[in-house]
Amino acid sequence: MKKIALFLVGAALVAFSSCGKDEPPTDNNFTLTFKATYDGVALEKYKNYPYGDRTVQMNKFNTFLSDLILVKKDGGEQRLSDIEWVDFTPDLAPDNKAVEVKFQYSVPAGDYTALKIGYGVRADLNAKKPSDFAPSEPLYLENEYWSGWQSYIFTKVQGLYDLDGVGDPESVLTYHCGSDAVYRTGVFNTDVNVSDKSGALTVEFDLKKLLTVNGTLLDLSNPDNRNTSHSASNIVLGTKVMDNFANATSVK
Amino acid sequence: MTHYRGKTGMVVAALLATALLLSQCGKNPPGTNCKDGCDLTGIPYAPTAYTIQKPAHFPQIAVPADNPMTLEGVQLGRRLFYDPILSADSTMSCSTCHLPEMSFTDGKAVSKGIDGVAGRRSAMSLLNIAYATNGLFWDGRARTLEDQALKPVEDPIELHHTWPNVVEQLKKHPEYPELFRKAFGISTCCDITKELAAKAIAQFERILISSGTSRFDQYVLGNPDALDDEELDGKLMFFDEGQVVNLPDAQCFHCHGGITLTGNFYFNNGLDSVASLNDFVDKGRGEVSGNPTDNGKFRAPTLRNIELTAPYMHDGRFTTLEAVLEHYNGNGKGVSNEDPFVRQIGFPLGGNVLTYSGLTPYQRKAVVKFLKTLTDTTFINNPDIQNPFR
Repeated sequence: MKKIALFLVGAALVAFSSCGKDEPPTDNNFTLTFKATYDGVALEKYKNYPYGDRTVQMNKFNTFLSDLILVKKDGGEQRLSDIEWVDFTPDLAPDNKAVEVKFQYSVPAGDYTALKIGYGVRADLNAKKPSDFAPSEPLYLENEYWSGWQSYIFTKVQGLYDLDGVGDPESVLTYHCGSDAVYRTGVFNTDVNVSDKSGALTVEFDLKKLLTVNGTLLDLSNPDNRNTSHSASNIVLGTKVMDNFANATSVK
Repeated sequence: MTHYRGKTGMVVAALLATALLLSQCGKNPPGTNCKDGCDLTGIPYAPTAYTIQKPAHFPQIAVPADNPMTLEGVQLGRRLFYDPILSADSTMSCSTCHLPEMSFTDGKAVSKGIDGVAGRRSAMSLLNIAYATNGLFWDGRARTLEDQALKPVEDPIELHHTWPNVVEQLKKHPEYPELFRKAFGISTCCDITKELAAKAIAQFERILISSGTSRFDQYVLGNPDALDDEELDGKLMFFDEGQVVNLPDAQCFHCHGGITLTGNFYFNNGLDSVASLNDFVDKGRGEVSGNPTDNGKFRAPTLRNIELTAPYMHDGRFTTLEAVLEHYNGNGKGVSNEDPFVRQIGFPLGGNVLTYSGLTPYQRKAVVKFLKTLTDTTFINNPDIQNPFR
């Protein structure tokens, strides 16, 4: 009887001690955080920011990002995600502060030297439509797709500019950028060690830098610089913005 | 040996006690007001998985893991939706303000509850409500359909009842206990709860999906003859695709985009001119969030079946689609949290300060004609969503 009891207790202990051993030790051990800033300061909707001798507000900012990849020390690549949607200004946010958006990934422990980012939706995914995706997937979002471009809207930035110089911004800014032609990529060298338990990088997008082209603020008194065109054949301003996305990005 | 027998006896006693306790599971605990005889375990519980029927070109539908769709759940929800048992004086049901023939609205500017007191807002269409995952009501105060379904019962200007009383009525009802058993596997009528009632109503509401047979859908699915030239012009302006044929942007799709014609986001769509954001008569989303920059913002409703859901806006201020287009043609009121596209309707008129032309009478008429191609009579006549008491 005692032997049976000891056997049962032993078996139970073995079973208990085995719990979780099949799971990889690296589950969601790497955190990628996205932040939005204006001139280095955490972005806030409906807040006036200096823009040259005028002011601007930035009231909406969201973007798709493709092919998020960590580069290993040996040059190999660790894919984090094919596609993510980063919404810094969700409707249901508790206040006007831009939210920090965090994603967690399982990454093998090791040393990594760079982060790759695709700005927008890469072409093979952009050829699809929201109805092709499950509700849990980023590309399910219907309002981020525009049939006129046959494309997702890669990036939305909306705000106001103080055109009349009276004080509060009043003229609308709308930068909606999309179509395969404006998809861009960036590589950001940064050393990061990922252990079995943790590892992290923070990516910041600065909207003032996004509107700083070749070292000069876009001239927002020029109406051509205030609103992206809805003409699929006229993507000049959208191209400027997407060209500049990597310059507006810092990774640490 | 004696010792062993003693242990065996204790084990047997414990097993018997456990079995006795288990046998009592789900039965009326002493002191409740559930009446004798409401044991439902004799009724088979074999729910049938239910697949929501949706057009192939529509997005997939998210169903919460804790409320899977079953035929029995949908049937129970449909019955509850149409049953005036949910109101204090048994005169009104959900369907009083959400009639199928009006695409689940009631045709009134603002709805009145059982006491004849008028509410502040117009009844929203429930068409394609399964896709509304960014909050419900005009102001997003409910996060899920299950949460939403709980609220009108206890709203003093709606059904003005209490959930404890509703649940008591359901427990004593000759048919509902069996229907709850079949839908959710409850063991006794005492297990009926408001949460289960809300789950059932939510399941029914999730099947209120377009048929995909409107003329707009026919066009989307490849029939170029489904829209006439004027309607096609309206469509091009609606979706800002008209530049190639020298048509201006009507900017509609920014708030009413995608195949469901809403992203369920919140906007100030330029209805009211206010001196400050605190001056909105109805603060809308701001009333829920407490954030003044959300004042005057409301959830954009679907435009599918819009022809059937007059009057329009959260307060039903416009009785016709023509009046709605007239409003948007004014290019906003210049309030600071107004959606930018409300101010950009028509062709840009050039100059440093951009102003917009608005739409010509023909262009407005074309957009209205296009909106009427969204009418889906197959949906409103679907027998599966009609009042089961008729």
